[in-house]
Amino acid sequence: MRGLRKVFGATVAVDGIDLEVPVGSVLGMLGPNGSGKTTLIRMLLGLTPPTVGTVELLGHTDPVAALPHVGALVEGPGFHGFLSGRDNLLRVAAAEPLLASRDIATTVATALERVGLTAAADRRYRGYSLGMKQRLGLAAALLVPRRLVVLDEPTNGLDPAGTRDVRRIIGELHADGATVIVSSHLLTEVEATCTHVAVLQAGTLVASGELATLLSAGAGGLVVATPDVELALHTLREVATAYRGAAGEVVVNDGPPAPEVVARLVHAGVAVHEARRSRTNLEDLFARLTEET
Amino acid sequence: MSEQAGNAAAERTRVSAPIGRLLGSEVRWLLRRPRTLVMLGLFALMPVTIAIGVVASNRSGGLVGNIVGNGLVLPVVALILAQALLLPLAVGMAAADALAGESAAGTLRGLLIAPVSRLRLVGMKAFGVLVVAVLATGVIAVVGALAGVLLVGGTDGLVTLSGTTVGVGGALGRIALAVAWTVGQLAAIGAVALAVSAWTEHPLVVLASVLGMVIVFGVLGAIPALDWLQPYLLTSGWTSGADVLRDPLPARGLVESTLRALCYLALGGGLAVYRMLRRDA
Repeated sequence: MRGLRKVFGATVAVDGIDLEVPVGSVLGMLGPNGSGKTTLIRMLLGLTPPTVGTVELLGHTDPVAALPHVGALVEGPGFHGFLSGRDNLLRVAAAEPLLASRDIATTVATALERVGLTAAADRRYRGYSLGMKQRLGLAAALLVPRRLVVLDEPTNGLDPAGTRDVRRIIGELHADGATVIVSSHLLTEVEATCTHVAVLQAGTLVASGELATLLSAGAGGLVVATPDVELALHTLREVATAYRGAAGEVVVNDGPPAPEVVARLVHAGVAVHEARRSRTNLEDLFARLTEET
Repeated sequence: MSEQAGNAAAERTRVSAPIGRLLGSEVRWLLRRPRTLVMLGLFALMPVTIAIGVVASNRSGGLVGNIVGNGLVLPVVALILAQALLLPLAVGMAAADALAGESAAGTLRGLLIAPVSRLRLVGMKAFGVLVVAVLATGVIAVVGALAGVLLVGGTDGLVTLSGTTVGVGGALGRIALAVAWTVGQLAAIGAVALAVSAWTEHPLVVLASVLGMVIVFGVLGAIPALDWLQPYLLTSGWTSGADVLRDPLPARGLVESTLRALCYLALGGGLAVYRMLRRDA
């Protein structure tokens, strides 16, 4: 049982992507606008056929066989303006294979409750704010317990409370063992909620893997804070690549382990105020990956 | 791979919702649309308007003139008049909303992800269009019969175009025949409209195509040099609608036009399925 595996080739939007999402992971899909995130998701869900390549969804090559277990919010919420939020959900619920007919009304009420729309449930969708529409889309994706939930830009238009709710819901899904795929521009969102990351650029996958691994791989050298910058550089150039960092800082790359670096500096009479790893956060990583072409 | 196949077989879950529930949901959706209700309301007004006009002017002659003192003819005449443009418009509108409209609203995705298989989706939408055709035709026929009886009078039977009189039972049978035949023609229009709807995400394109088709077919049918085209034009059989008012009832035109409608139905339905199986949503 595996999330999915796909190989695409020669399409303009998505070019030769091979990606495997481990079961139970929360994958954050990052990429600038037009990088192919949504196209990738649409191919995964069988909404558009890949030009080349195959998709495997929860062990099925036919998406329809797997889709009852999949909840998705793709390209923004899609509902009818003349129906109320509840009626829209009732219509979606009627098409859900795993939902027994007698449970539909209560399931819909629970889903509305979960996204905080109970009070507005019987108002027309037309009058909903952007955030409320997004919440209703989320409710539709979570109507029945899912094994895979795909959320395309779930926090679009949400207020801070809504963003917190989305984060909470993703956490709950993850705790229940579901696999979650989230695409987002909000890097902090991904950093806060995801276990795995895939970074797309111009239709290609430029990095993917566990968040922790990518973060440590992206970590720069050792940063040493010292008033004796010149002396420190002179001392370290014998054993490492050392260069000036911010004022009063020296950055050491490709050198010996940190304790040895510090020991050498102290022996040479350099006052070391602080030595730390320059932890790149995901934003730096993202920026670096998408900028170097 | 084998482990996956084993798991897939073990879970053996439903992959689609019960078909009755899907169809019920579709009809509920149709009947809650304000435009459907407004349309049916306006259609109900049409035979009433004809009845009032006939009673007020009291002029005989022509198809409409037959209604004078002959109320049970009204539903059939109203259907014949509505079939020229109004009923195709109704069916075209329903078909436009069915696929193109849902695609434009972003709701087609939701149905496909649920999932409703693409083939079932076409079936469900075709059913919805057919329901609209039946409702629109039925409203005109029922209101027409009531208006005929109450406003025009002449309830002891129906005087045919041939001059004979058939009893009330026979008259109702002929009205039912007119309804069934009209629904058959509208099903053909609906299938073609659904095919166009599967190809576009602009509902207006569907509506324009349907009306364009009806008008162009009418024009082509009226050009004598193009009479070899006649057998292929759906609209060329539409004059046989008035045959239900003749005695004895000439079946040939009705049967022929119904067969032609079936051809259009198969063609339109086939194209709609072909396109929906490949369509991006």
